[in-house]
Amino acid sequence: MTTTTAQEPTVKATVTTPRDREIRIERIFNASRDRVWNAMTDPELVAEWWGRGNKLVIEKLEVKRGGHWRFVEHSAEGVHGFEGRFREVTPPERVVQTFEWDGMPGYVIVNTMTLQDLGDGRTKMVTTSLFHTTEERDGFLQSGMEGGMNQSYEALDRVLASRF
Amino acid sequence: MVQYHTQLNSTFGALADPTRRGILERLGRSEAGITELAEAFDITLTGMKKHVGVLEAAGLVTTEKVGRVRRCRLGPRRLDAETAWIEEYRRTLEGRLNRLGEFLERTKENR
Repeated sequence: MTTTTAQEPTVKATVTTPRDREIRIERIFNASRDRVWNAMTDPELVAEWWGRGNKLVIEKLEVKRGGHWRFVEHSAEGVHGFEGRFREVTPPERVVQTFEWDGMPGYVIVNTMTLQDLGDGRTKMVTTSLFHTTEERDGFLQSGMEGGMNQSYEALDRVLASRF
Repeated sequence: MVQYHTQLNSTFGALADPTRRGILERLGRSEAGITELAEAFDITLTGMKKHVGVLEAAGLVTTEKVGRVRRCRLGPRRLDAETAWIEEYRRTLEGRLNRLGEFLERTKENR
């Protein structure tokens, strides 16, 4: 592991698509694991960044197995509600939670987030988002339409690659 | 937004049937006439017209009468809504994690 310097970028990310319905993002934060964990689980801290500059109302954030979370983001384009349940909570290293957007009912994403202490004051976060939808959609994905989706992923990969 | 949901529901309804998924797969390779499709899937012309009708209503297929033949091809919508959602999700997640990084940087001294 290289030495951390003040000039080193805070955020590094690699994005891969190991499976057609899975998005995996790896990222290194220039912060201890406890700080990253708190920023993701303390409602007051979550409100500081989750809304990406938009007003965020945290209606619920029960960080425990079976707990419910619900955030409402107020953006220029409108009001968007997001919610889900925690399936697994292991402080300060692992959370599995579901994610749904009010605008796409029936689409459930299962997010697995792990935090790894790199031992040098930095923390590596790996998030995997698995898209669960109806059987119909699964069947359709297997029927040969994944080409178009992969093309979209590739296009997005290029955009993301240019950003980092 | 309501219309968007309705469209998605009709998409799922249209995709619920294996024959209709097969038709989409077939049309993904090239356009085809209804009679040709009926023969390929070994069903009656009336049955195929019904399937194509459902796909057309969901915006997944468009048809056009060319002479005496009705040509079918994939519609403009296809899985755009679903693909867009996954893309949007990823874009948003990236944005959120960028903000988290900035936040952690900003609050470095006040731990």
